[in-house]
Amino acid sequence: MALSREDVRGIADYARIALADDELTEMTDYLNDAVQMLEPVLAYDVPDIEPTFHPIGDLANVMRSDEEEAARSLDLPHALGNAASVSERYFRVPSILGEEGDR
Amino acid sequence: MKELAEVLKDWEAVIGLEIHTELTALDTKMFCGCKLSHDDEPNANVCPVCLGLPGALPVPNKRAIESIVKAGIATNCQIQKRSMFYRKHYFYPDMAKNFQTTQGPVAFAMHGRLDLEVTGRGAAERPACAFGAAEAESLASASANAEGLSTAMNKQMAEGRAAVGALSAMSGYDTAGLAVPELHEDGSYTVPIRILRIHMEEDAAKMVHVGGEEGRIGGAAESLVDYNRCGTPLIELVTEPDLRTPEEARLFMEKLRRIFLTLGISDCSMEHGSMRCDGNVSLRRRGETSLGTKTELKNLNSFKALHDGLAYEICRQAEVLEEGGTIYQETRHWEPSRKRTQVMRVKETADDYRLFPDPDLAPFDLTDEFIERCRAEIPELPDAKRDRFEADFGIKRADAEQLAGDPDMAAFFERAAAGRSGKEAQTVANLIVNELTGFLKASGADLAASGIAPAQVASLARLLASDAISSNQAHEVFGAMAETGEDPEAIVDARGMRQVSDAGALQPIVDEVLANCPDQAQQYRDGNQKVIGFLVGQCMKASRGTGNPKLFNELLRASLS
Amino acid sequence: MAAFLDSLTASRIAAGVSAGDFTAREVAEASLAAIAAREPQVQAFLQVTSELALAAADAVDSARAAGAPLGPLAGVPLAIKDNMNLIGTRTTCASRMLEGYESPYTATCVQRMLDAGCIPMGKANMDEFAFGSSTDSSAFHPTNNPWDLERVPGGSSGGSAAAVAAGEVALSLGSDTGGSIRQPAALCGVVGMKPTYGAVSRYGVVAFGSSLDQVGPFGRTVEDVALAMQALTAAGRDPQDGTSRDCAQDFLAHLDDPVEGRRVGIVPALMEAEGLTPEVRAAVESAARTLADQGAELVEVDLPHLDAAIAAYYVIGPAEAFSNLARFDGIRYGYQEPGCSNLAAQSAKSRAHGFGAEAKRRQMLGAYLLSSGVYDTYYYAAQKARTLITADYASAYEKVDAILMPACPRTAFKHGEISDPTQMYLSDLYTISINIAGNGGVSVPLGLGADSGLPVAAQLVGPAFADRDLLTFARAVERGREDEVAGAAAGAVAPAFAGKGGELA
Repeated sequence: MALSREDVRGIADYARIALADDELTEMTDYLNDAVQMLEPVLAYDVPDIEPTFHPIGDLANVMRSDEEEAARSLDLPHALGNAASVSERYFRVPSILGEEGDR
Repeated sequence: MKELAEVLKDWEAVIGLEIHTELTALDTKMFCGCKLSHDDEPNANVCPVCLGLPGALPVPNKRAIESIVKAGIATNCQIQKRSMFYRKHYFYPDMAKNFQTTQGPVAFAMHGRLDLEVTGRGAAERPACAFGAAEAESLASASANAEGLSTAMNKQMAEGRAAVGALSAMSGYDTAGLAVPELHEDGSYTVPIRILRIHMEEDAAKMVHVGGEEGRIGGAAESLVDYNRCGTPLIELVTEPDLRTPEEARLFMEKLRRIFLTLGISDCSMEHGSMRCDGNVSLRRRGETSLGTKTELKNLNSFKALHDGLAYEICRQAEVLEEGGTIYQETRHWEPSRKRTQVMRVKETADDYRLFPDPDLAPFDLTDEFIERCRAEIPELPDAKRDRFEADFGIKRADAEQLAGDPDMAAFFERAAAGRSGKEAQTVANLIVNELTGFLKASGADLAASGIAPAQVASLARLLASDAISSNQAHEVFGAMAETGEDPEAIVDARGMRQVSDAGALQPIVDEVLANCPDQAQQYRDGNQKVIGFLVGQCMKASRGTGNPKLFNELLRASLS
Repeated sequence: MAAFLDSLTASRIAAGVSAGDFTAREVAEASLAAIAAREPQVQAFLQVTSELALAAADAVDSARAAGAPLGPLAGVPLAIKDNMNLIGTRTTCASRMLEGYESPYTATCVQRMLDAGCIPMGKANMDEFAFGSSTDSSAFHPTNNPWDLERVPGGSSGGSAAAVAAGEVALSLGSDTGGSIRQPAALCGVVGMKPTYGAVSRYGVVAFGSSLDQVGPFGRTVEDVALAMQALTAAGRDPQDGTSRDCAQDFLAHLDDPVEGRRVGIVPALMEAEGLTPEVRAAVESAARTLADQGAELVEVDLPHLDAAIAAYYVIGPAEAFSNLARFDGIRYGYQEPGCSNLAAQSAKSRAHGFGAEAKRRQMLGAYLLSSGVYDTYYYAAQKARTLITADYASAYEKVDAILMPACPRTAFKHGEISDPTQMYLSDLYTISINIAGNGGVSVPLGLGADSGLPVAAQLVGPAFADRDLLTFARAVERGREDEVAGAAAGAVAPAFAGKGGELA
């Protein structure tokens, strides 16, 4: 079943990517093409085969000891240095509830 | 609105809790070596991992995994050897990666159970109709309905594939063999509360909302983010919807807190948010088997708030339903100052968190050795300790329960009461439960910092148990002892407080008081028993507080008869 | 006698610095001169780090003067793909999203190369966030193939491949999620290795597909790539990457071991695949003959589930990419849309305007594939296909020690020649299944194609954590070509650039 423009708009809203109308059309075409290309994989949805989520089959129980790694800690200039909006020691974000109108 | 007791006669409240506990006892965060912050300056304890910088990778903290395994064992859960971390996606600045690393359908600990003993006034919240065979059906029907079971996240998991071997484990609850609460003659009852799962996850950053009312998000012009807390190890316990009254919810939370404190995995401070509780509640008519629409309650950040918030919400829902209204699936905020719940947001559709196994984190396949080592490190748990205190020291069950629930207090009691039993041990328990707890609360100090030693309390208890001093004097001595650090014997001697329990020495005082108070003496003879209190008081005054009040009482009655 | 830096291998440069034939500073300056002379045509770099390079070179020279032991790659000029963090550089992933992003920490793989004595010359161009096979999706500029400037160098590690092929540096680091090292290596006529997943730490490398990504080196000879592998793995597993493994071994000791009596697999279906050009096929067959001439036994093997590889890859890759790129919301770092009155609008516009078209496409596809209902259908099927593909390789490796196949079905294409993204995806046919199985693969240059006159290559793939063995086979192929006159000699830079700037005084 093909994805509609509205479906794609919903995905874009979720993925927080503001798409203009022409981009939405293009993206809808792309997603439908891509999903079609993925069809061969559906033949593998068979029982009795375990999915492989991690490529190193026997890797398990990887843990670190509960020890402070001060060397990795970032000082404030480095922690905030790449942020576009900061306020004193904080990262700053605009109103969270705000008006949704300009989205 | 109707009273809770009235509402619960007609309606059954189906309550489930989601309890988040930060593992504050650890030194570092869940997936990186940043120090756990308590009151550090904003963004002081951050690194590429917990700030979600491009290229950073998580590695789980071993002590966090040990802690959750211990929590699982202590709450009678089955420890799942094989489990994975998942990514739960939502765009919000408190998650540096815009996903939270949490667990999937299989959690480290699943299918546990805690039994609650509900006594006293709290027991009366569960009406008499909610016991026995009818209750078995109620439990089974509540559990079978996954819709009302828990959060959207758990629902999504339940819908997930059986391929991970989880679905069968999740839906196969054995409700048939489950004990149902039976009412005892004294009005108390014991009720088993099942635990669905305890999973491991990471805490979110703290947000400060600027410009909004009371620091709330609504109306805020901007928000500030502090990632110190981001990545703090967090365990989330989800109960089955087995709770039926606000009191049961409160007791469950208290019991869980005592267990976690004993395990030494968290400071469990509800005030500081290291232990947080959300409540899911729905109503249905008594006898009904399908579940009503639930609401989720937030801001239940004290035992009182947990109880009162649920009680209010139950009454609110009943009123809406009785007026023919509809309950919407929504999140509501408990406002303790206004004693009401307010809508935070309406969930029109289940959130789609796009959960999938975190490829950066290798799966877990815990060894028996690992699990057994955790088990061996679990100290005596509160219930076992309570039973032992009751049996070995012969103290009252309620006091044993209170002492056993606080590991520091319990250890203090054991040292102070060592080698005693019966009245002497009970006296030690009384002093700790009343004097010591009261003093710590008033002074704001913790036990270790107070400098009060078990030997001092033992010494004070000896003075009391041998009637050398009165209870009132004990209170005074305790205060002096806490302030100066001196031994109670020395304080009593220095202040000349030693209680006189020699009838020969007290009789002259009694005679003198009766001579000075002929009116009151006559009133007693005329049948006014109450006046004896006044006369004892006069004797105590005359003896400058050193006479044994019980003995004065006896001597007065003897002299007047 | 004056020599041009580009005539020296990494191995020879390190030996020369150690012996005092020239200083590391002279090497660094020669590399900077070569870069200055060649970059106008090649455009392999997004940032040239002259100061870091000279400082690192001086540190090597001081160490030598003080009699301290030098690293095995002392003084070797290195280019670093721009998705790898290095303090003192910007790490942009060739995206507007990260334009101006200053690395606050250094990736383990980069640190290990520096610890071995490498000189960091700069950050290499790439497809934006590694989404692509041409490097044309870089937000800043394309990179040109040193063998034909009208053509792409391949991608996504196109800048890393081109910088080595043009002789600007001797070694470079790339990352390979679906062929992003092996394909550009093939198109630029250099050696490029994707080690087994877990062999090299991913810590500090901006993630695309976490279960697929692997860092590896480019060099002009197999020996140089072996030296780099040694540097990347010698310190053992990285405690900061929970999916890394200890696989330290001597990559040089067995490099020239004979392949006599060893078995090399050929997959007939892959040699017959649609789209494989005759010249690439002929080159792979010549490599097979070279191995057979040295006594290796050629054995036909079958990989029956390979037809699902591309589809499985384009489920797993975008799903992981969506998740990994969710963090770019313009708050903690990255492009932030100005003037937004609420958070949702700020995030959505920052992401819409910070990411290029392909980055948005992949994330949208991933967000769709992970959504409730769809996830069950596609993601599980893809991970099951992964199980079967991995099993295919495992059973093949019971019969053979390595498998020989093309790296890329054709030679370098022109800029803009392939515009349909889904058509572009199909060119990854030979590389993708190795990322799905997690095994190692190496692309070995085989001179120039008879039809196009452009570099052609073969790919050798091997069992998990048998990367050293794989280099032995690669070296055998390279050795067999050393006396050949036709086409480019092994280890040579693209002729248009040979000796163009970068004279060692």
